[in-house]
Amino acid sequence: MSAARPPKPSPPWALYGVILAVVGGMTLWSAFGVGLSAREIVCNLGGGTRLLRESWPPDFGFLPRLWGPFLETLQIALIGTVVGGIIAIPVAVLAARPVSPNWITWFLDRNFMNVLRTMPDLFWAMLFAAAVGFGPLAGALALSVFTVAVVSKLFSESMESIDLNLPEAVRAAGGSWVQMVRFSVLPQVWPHYASYVMYAFELNVRASMVLGLVGAGGIGMILNTQRASFEYERVTMIILMVLVAVLVIEQISIAIRRRLI
Amino acid sequence: MSAARHYPGRPRGGLATWASLALGLAFLASLWAVDASPERLIAVPGEVLIFLGRFFAPDMFFLSDPETGAWMCSVDWPACRAALGAHWGGILDYGRESVVAGILESIQIAWIGTIIGALLSLPLAFLGAGQLFPVLSRGIKALSSTIRAVPEILLAIYLIPIVGLGATAGALAIGLHSVGMLSKLGAEVVESIDMGPVEAVEAAGGSRWAAIRYAVLPQVIPEILAQWLFRFELNLRASAILGVVGAGGVGALLLNALRYRQFDKAAAVLILTVLAVLVIDMVSSALRRRLTRA
Repeated sequence: MSAARPPKPSPPWALYGVILAVVGGMTLWSAFGVGLSAREIVCNLGGGTRLLRESWPPDFGFLPRLWGPFLETLQIALIGTVVGGIIAIPVAVLAARPVSPNWITWFLDRNFMNVLRTMPDLFWAMLFAAAVGFGPLAGALALSVFTVAVVSKLFSESMESIDLNLPEAVRAAGGSWVQMVRFSVLPQVWPHYASYVMYAFELNVRASMVLGLVGAGGIGMILNTQRASFEYERVTMIILMVLVAVLVIEQISIAIRRRLI
Repeated sequence: MSAARHYPGRPRGGLATWASLALGLAFLASLWAVDASPERLIAVPGEVLIFLGRFFAPDMFFLSDPETGAWMCSVDWPACRAALGAHWGGILDYGRESVVAGILESIQIAWIGTIIGALLSLPLAFLGAGQLFPVLSRGIKALSSTIRAVPEILLAIYLIPIVGLGATAGALAIGLHSVGMLSKLGAEVVESIDMGPVEAVEAAGGSRWAAIRYAVLPQVIPEILAQWLFRFELNLRASAILGVVGAGGVGALLLNALRYRQFDKAAAVLILTVLAVLVIDMVSSALRRRLTRA
């Protein structure tokens, strides 16, 4: 009774070869394009260590001047999250397949969301700074748009996996489309929504620290002037502050999100 | 039993109510702090629309004759058409000359950053998994969350004096940030595996490394590859803005074009960047869907 073992399936070598060639080719092309050379890095190492020595003991005397811009940064992030989070609700509802009223709305909104998501956050900040003038308002507007892009995508995805019996029941009882969304769709996904908005707030705090680099308000404006004058012990102070703030907010947000879902 | 039916009212005054009240107040205070007065806010949509319009049409399109109030274009259509032609000619020329090169450089930065992040994060993903290495994982998680908390662009500010102005600093900054991100996500994937095969390998006398190679790796590879691809998509957006601090890529072109109000150039950067990111997103998400479906 010698059991005839089926032959071991041979791995798809051709596929592996193609993947390896594409990845290797991309890497080589990029490495040359970027100009990654070990020699250059080693030659610059002297300057680098000097910089690191200069930047280490952070300038704690600079801290009092940072509180104002820091608060402004948090305010920008809060406005962006609230405004963007509210606008994201209708955008997400219309882009969720089973909820969207018709095919055309779904298609248009879906593509609108995709285009919105392709733009990096600082691009929005540059555009708004040029459109409405330098300052925190530009940053708040940029983060609003960015929040719509992040939250609407996640929120519409979670609406696609809801229990569809409830919407049907509302429709069968004579409810309008708006009543259906209000009383059967949204109540199922509010916890997810709260969690996504909080996630967006984390992203926004992180992003609002660098908005000032393009003139859109917050602590980044100070960062930019100190960087330009090579005051790296002050740059370190700012980055340390950013780091602590981001870590603290992240931990709070993770703790709340774990209770929500 | 025969007491009148009493329906409980809707719960009020709970923690959620107070939290949303506090949030609302903080929101209003923030609006006041950023000078978002009502008259300013009403003007914003108009400003933004006119600004966006300038990307697609020359200034002449937005001018009207101060005496008659007639739009310039309705008075002198041939001149208007010529200006429009020049505007779009400028967009195309600038796109061909420098924007394509900038976007290719951004793609290269993102790719190198992703490769660096992927290679370095792979061992960290295993070492950071709580059930495999309980002691090490705490330290590695703390390290990776510290790296993650610093935005790429701030890392680039430090790397520029070390490796010089240009794309290398950008690629290293993105690589470093990706290590933090990918090792956290990778560790989560490793933690969610089925431990049965691991026990089987160990019961058959296999070493810890054999267990990782034959029981853990096959379970996590598709998910981890998908995360690398997704990271590449995000890195492309990040590398597009690194030019703001001089770390290469297309961002510097946009910043300068907006600073000097060269709207045709800004339009070229925006249109081509959106197109490039859309195409790469599409390819990458198709690949990811195949990876995670299996």
